[in-house]
Amino acid sequence: MSALGQVGDLLQLVPVQRAGAGLLLSALGLPIVGVVIVGLDIMPVRFAMMHVALLGIAVGQLVGLDPVLCALVACALAGAGVAPLARTADGLSGAMGLLMSLAIAAALLMLALSGVNANGAFALLWGSILAVRPADLAVLGALAVALPALFVWRRRELSLLLHDRELALCSGVAVQRLTVLLLVLVAVAVAGAIRLTGALLVDALTLLPALAARRLGRSLVSITLWAIGIGLVVNVVGFLVSLAWDLPPGPVLVLAAGAVALAAHLIPERRTPSWREPAASSVPSLH
Amino acid sequence: MHGVVCRHGRLEAVSGVDLDVAAGERIALTGTNGSGKTTLLRAVLGLHRQVEGEILVGRRGARSAAEWAWRRRACAWIPQRPAAGRFPLLARELLASSGAPAEAASAAVRLGVGALGDRPLSSLSGGQLQRMHLARAVGCVAAGAGVLLADEPTAALDFAGQEEAAEVLTTLPVTVLVVTHDRAMAARCDRTLEMAAGRLREVR
Repeated sequence: MSALGQVGDLLQLVPVQRAGAGLLLSALGLPIVGVVIVGLDIMPVRFAMMHVALLGIAVGQLVGLDPVLCALVACALAGAGVAPLARTADGLSGAMGLLMSLAIAAALLMLALSGVNANGAFALLWGSILAVRPADLAVLGALAVALPALFVWRRRELSLLLHDRELALCSGVAVQRLTVLLLVLVAVAVAGAIRLTGALLVDALTLLPALAARRLGRSLVSITLWAIGIGLVVNVVGFLVSLAWDLPPGPVLVLAAGAVALAAHLIPERRTPSWREPAASSVPSLH
Repeated sequence: MHGVVCRHGRLEAVSGVDLDVAAGERIALTGTNGSGKTTLLRAVLGLHRQVEGEILVGRRGARSAAEWAWRRRACAWIPQRPAAGRFPLLARELLASSGAPAEAASAAVRLGVGALGDRPLSSLSGGQLQRMHLARAVGCVAAGAGVLLADEPTAALDFAGQEEAAEVLTTLPVTVLVVTHDRAMAARCDRTLEMAAGRLREVR
């Protein structure tokens, strides 16, 4: 059977359709989360949220609620909780490390108390695209609406905040409130994306498109648009390739996104007009 | 300002500063490096956290978030080292952040950086960036700020630029507190104060 025919057949299956829908929705929201992560300089957030999600799962198993829901709520609370530490430039990165250690300790304690095998809880973190449930799609869909909407609605404030916190403060931006909102959205999105690709592969959907876009765009608006565009292309191409050649989707997506990010760093930087104002000068810019 | 003390951890950067500035007065703040000038200015804006004593602007203190928001609207700020920024910001977005984009843009034209609006700040030279911040401050004043806090606003400028900047700053119809090492700028001000080891004294 040809690769094309195989893709066509597989796309008839409901889990595959759900997976495709999940990836499309996530391409609208998650690259924006990546832009925020790069902008706030909180790369360790993924590890921190993974541990917090584990804590949520442990709590869920202890009290008998839906573990995934508990993980989402725990991540949202943790995101809001670390916001006060965002006052200094490196405060957030440190806070993420602290959060990570505390969350994993609390999670292990909970698991021991509830008598659940820790491996069972960890298994929930190894999400799979083909196991996406309608509830996960709802979370991703909400993010796909909320994040772009926030970026359109608060564009001016966000570009100031992501550029420099103090400048934003002095320009009348409600820095504290906006930071809390962003951190909650980042936390929920990372937790949601963990279900989609598994904890280790979240980067493919969030960070990598943003890193490539950071290189290509010159303002918050253009970077965000690039990130969404790259996310869409990577998700669609990666998913079709994995279907056509029967490869696991997660790694294929990461490799595709990684290739784009690498390519973005290898192409020469766009030449800006010279520093001097009369454009007559023929001196090339020093980059 | 009354009995203002600012600390960086254990270090006392500003110790017991008392200062009355009348509305519309222009004050030059000079002094050696590390004498606490920048910290004092940042304390007025609430950017420095460990502050004791009392700072009133327009007879209003700042405790609640709303009061700080008023303070930051009332005080235009030109930072000493404009942040390069973690994320690109276009120059026109910086000008728009003043609250009066049109006035800030025309000030940018006057200061010779009007054509650079579509460039990210990170691609501007130090002097161009300083001119942009100057133009932004003019916009803040147009948007209603009554005080200008300028931290070495001419340090990165060429000679002609220093003249221009001093002219723009001292002809604005607001109270000006400018940290400067530039004698010409200090000469244009009504009073000159000197800071040494965190203490303030009147020079002129």
